[in-house]
Amino acid sequence: MSVKAFELVPAVERDLLMGDKARINIECIECCGRHLYVGTNDCFIHHFLLDEVTSSKGRLSYSAQKLLHKYLGLKKPVAELRAASALERLIVLCDGIVFLVDMVTLESVPSAAGGGVKIRGVTAFCINENPVNGDPFCVEMGVLSSKRRTVQIYMVYEDRVQLVKEVNTPEQPVAVSIDGYFLCLALTTQYMILNYNTGASQDLFPYNSEERTPIVKRISREEFLLAAPGGLGMFANAEGASQRAPVNWSESVMAAAVCFPYVVALDENFITIHSMLDQQLKQTLSFRDGQVLQDVEGKVMLASTKAVYVLVPLPLERQIQDLLASHRVEEALVLTEGAQRNIPKDKFQILHRRILQQAGFIKFGQLQFLEAKEHFRKGQLDVRELISLYPLLLPASSSFMRCHPPLHEFADLNHLAQGDQGKVLRCKNFLISYLGEVRSTDLVNGCRDDVDTALLKLYAEQDHDSLLDLLASDNSCLLTDSIPWLEKYHKYFALGLLYHFNGQDAAALQLWIRIVDGELRDSTRSDLYEYIVDFLCCSSNMEIVWKYADWALRKDPTKGVHIFTKRPVCKGGSEVNPDEVIAYLGKHSQALLLYLEHLVLERKIQKEKFHTHLAVLYLERVVSLLKTPKDEDQLTKAREKLQAMLRESHLYRVQFVLGKMEGCEELLLERATLHGKLEEHDKALHILVHKLRDFPSAEAFVVWASSDRDPLYRQRLFHLLLGVYLHDAPSGCGGSSEMEMAAVDLLNRHGEVFDAVRVLRMLPENWSLQLLRPFLNRAVRASMHASRTSQIALGLARSENVQLLHDRLKERRKPIFVSEKKGCHLCHNTFSEPSVVCLPGGVPVHVHCAAQRVRDSPTKRQLTNSSNHT
Amino acid sequence: MPDVPKMKKPDAKLVLLGDMNVGKTSLLHRYMERKFKDTISTVGGAFFLKQWGPHNISIWDTAGREQFHGLGSMYCRGAAAVILTYDVTNWQSLAELEERFLSLTDTANHDCIYALVGNKADLTDPKAHLCQDSDVLSEDRTDCEEARTEPQVLSACPTPPASPASLSGMLLHKQVAREDAVALYGRILRYKGLDEKGSLPADRMCFETSAKTGYNVDALFETLFDLVLPSILRKRHENQASPTVDLEDCREASGKRGKSSCC
Repeated sequence: MSVKAFELVPAVERDLLMGDKARINIECIECCGRHLYVGTNDCFIHHFLLDEVTSSKGRLSYSAQKLLHKYLGLKKPVAELRAASALERLIVLCDGIVFLVDMVTLESVPSAAGGGVKIRGVTAFCINENPVNGDPFCVEMGVLSSKRRTVQIYMVYEDRVQLVKEVNTPEQPVAVSIDGYFLCLALTTQYMILNYNTGASQDLFPYNSEERTPIVKRISREEFLLAAPGGLGMFANAEGASQRAPVNWSESVMAAAVCFPYVVALDENFITIHSMLDQQLKQTLSFRDGQVLQDVEGKVMLASTKAVYVLVPLPLERQIQDLLASHRVEEALVLTEGAQRNIPKDKFQILHRRILQQAGFIKFGQLQFLEAKEHFRKGQLDVRELISLYPLLLPASSSFMRCHPPLHEFADLNHLAQGDQGKVLRCKNFLISYLGEVRSTDLVNGCRDDVDTALLKLYAEQDHDSLLDLLASDNSCLLTDSIPWLEKYHKYFALGLLYHFNGQDAAALQLWIRIVDGELRDSTRSDLYEYIVDFLCCSSNMEIVWKYADWALRKDPTKGVHIFTKRPVCKGGSEVNPDEVIAYLGKHSQALLLYLEHLVLERKIQKEKFHTHLAVLYLERVVSLLKTPKDEDQLTKAREKLQAMLRESHLYRVQFVLGKMEGCEELLLERATLHGKLEEHDKALHILVHKLRDFPSAEAFVVWASSDRDPLYRQRLFHLLLGVYLHDAPSGCGGSSEMEMAAVDLLNRHGEVFDAVRVLRMLPENWSLQLLRPFLNRAVRASMHASRTSQIALGLARSENVQLLHDRLKERRKPIFVSEKKGCHLCHNTFSEPSVVCLPGGVPVHVHCAAQRVRDSPTKRQLTNSSNHT
Repeated sequence: MPDVPKMKKPDAKLVLLGDMNVGKTSLLHRYMERKFKDTISTVGGAFFLKQWGPHNISIWDTAGREQFHGLGSMYCRGAAAVILTYDVTNWQSLAELEERFLSLTDTANHDCIYALVGNKADLTDPKAHLCQDSDVLSEDRTDCEEARTEPQVLSACPTPPASPASLSGMLLHKQVAREDAVALYGRILRYKGLDEKGSLPADRMCFETSAKTGYNVDALFETLFDLVLPSILRKRHENQASPTVDLEDCREASGKRGKSSCC
């Protein structure tokens, strides 16, 4: 539970001071640089020169050399000694008198005004270490006198003392301490803060001066340490408030001092050392007959009745290391952080980081990973320190060396876990999560390879899902180091990803193909084949694509062809030449078909070659299916595709396809379509009507062939069909009435297309009116409609004409002036000849301008069109 | 960068006062560490820093023992909030607040907020008995049950004496009713010379808590933190308004206020 914060080192031994004179005791000490002054009860001052000696082992000791001793001649103990180094004076309290002696000669200083420099009736005094008055050649001193309830403030000069202030106190003061204007006083029954400048006072808390000696110790600017009832060391600031929690002393504490971050207190038998940071007792040293405890220039000096000691603080780092060695992480950190303001900033940062890292490893060793992580993070640990604990994780090529002195006591993970596999696993899982978190931060700058490779190894070993994420994203895994690991754990797919990431696509593909072909076992992806296809599809390296597409197509042509059909269309990138692909796909007919469909139907590439090729492939398929008549369904589908192709495309070479169809008697419909394409409608209709006797198809053909054509063309085709129905009918045969019915149906359905007069002339005399009623109805209505429309147009034209006549008459009544100075309203040029055109409203314009206007006017143009109709 | 908290002066101070054994340290432990553990009698005092939003609030735990009574007014100096704690099973602990502790708060800020807290509510109130924190193990509960059988100081209480304390989870007699606390709150306001209407209402400032089960503990502290925020902001504003240039942030205007506080 204890820390070794201080070491007690003897400074002046007994024999140097008083030899064997038993009754001589030390009363007070003062130290100023190397000069040590000791006041004794027989009214002597001893002057020593004190030197620090560091032994070869680093142990500190002191050697004291006696310079002088001086009897003050008062036969009373020397109660108090204070050095005023700037004045080269010692301020001495002896027998109730304060006076000055020379620091070198120890001679009493005569007053400048004659007589001694003396203040009488003094019980205690103190020096202001933080005076408001900035004069370096005087010392401010607070004095308590035995008779009066006052505190006197004196200025001490080289050869005189001057009373500058006297303030009253409510009770007899017993002890005093000064900071700035603030007096911290122990009165008879209470402590108080008194501002001697303003007289304002602040009660602190009561105590009983009869029970115990008060302590008022200035510890820093405007902060005092007081002995409170119940053996407490209370802190109070000048405002009268406490900003630190008290420390728990014994009741008999007689002196205290602060050596940050510790409070050192002296009682009858012990020196106790508490931390101001957590108020805990940190160290206890046995010390008999303690007399004086005083902080001097960063160290604490003590005196027993017979000898003088120095309480040397151990280096902070050593204290912290001691704490860490006993696994007291929190205390070590509190101590480190508490020392922040006493250490230069850059040095502190280095120290703090190292302590945090060590603390992290201690917590890590205790498997307290949350804390460990926090410490590692704050301490900016080089992650490799942690990785290096795990055997074989760091790549062989890593240049990492563990930090020296070591941050922890572990050789490796096995040493730490002592063979407990559960522990090992937990440590590994911790490293996984920790590396996962830090790998994207600045912490891994400069060792990204090591971190990523370690992470990969852990993922592979632990069969972790994130392995693929790691490899699929930007990473720095070292290939050479990772290959054996991934192979060892059968992570071939992952290895492929790593190859790919390192630009070795061929290696990746070979590996994956071996998995698909069952040579290697890795069940990471059940859809690895599709993945490969996808990969090839997206690969811009055509060499690889050509090399491995063959394998994919052999495996599954329909999916394999996706390599070519699903390629992302990249702008600016080199498109794959379809001709090359087609040549490549030559031996994979199914894939070729799919690819051509993709080109023609999806990408709508308008190239005769592809269209013809596709049409021929369709045709070949139909033909082959016809030869082996098994599946009607398939045949129908194939024919539908072919027919659709023949109908929709305008690019294929019709004659060529037609030639291919020679000898295929079954494909009459297709031939008809082809004839239609060649505008050989009579041939087509002949096939449809006479060979196939498929009248709906014939009608559909006419509709299809005349779509997007002008009405006259359409009419011509319908008349052609009607003619075929009526005239080509083989007379006498039963089919004629069938064809006549087809003719009637055609007329009745598409009446509006026909020229009714011509139809009526064509129709046989014997047909009943009833039969043709729908057709005639439609024809009469269409004719009526046309006649009425033209009448309306005629009327409109007439009214326009009348309107114009009206305008003309109106304009004629008044003269229209044309001169060479007047401009034409349309072209704004002047007139050069008398002949002009008058626009409605009597506006004269050039003749050619008017003509131009009429030509350009949209209304006029419409008008000319409509007049055509009428 | 190490984010070491500098020894910064807290923005506000909150002080727990009350007789010994009412559970001040336990309340603070429960709030800060989410645990109920055996505590020993506090010596002198202790304090914790709580980060509340951007502000640092220091919470002072004081010693209830008579011996340290004299230190109380020092702890209260400049306090923004005082929690006066009593034990609901002990009438005397409430009486002590008025007799001994109220005068200690004279040194607190003029706008100090007072809260009256009856602790150990789990012993009398079934609803406070429910654990609010899952980390309270039944094991440590029985431990404290025993710890709780400390000698009940039977005082000259105006209410009838409590029926003998039950040991086996039966409820103890509640000696301090909520109304008593509310009445005391009213007297505190009168003592402070505060207008009852202008001050925070008693039903907001009287709490019954259980450090053991965690009942109402967070509510207590967090209500107070929220209530002291305005005074923090006002103080900050005053400091900004003052023409003094603070060379060290942590020593803001200490001298100045030292003078003004004792006129």
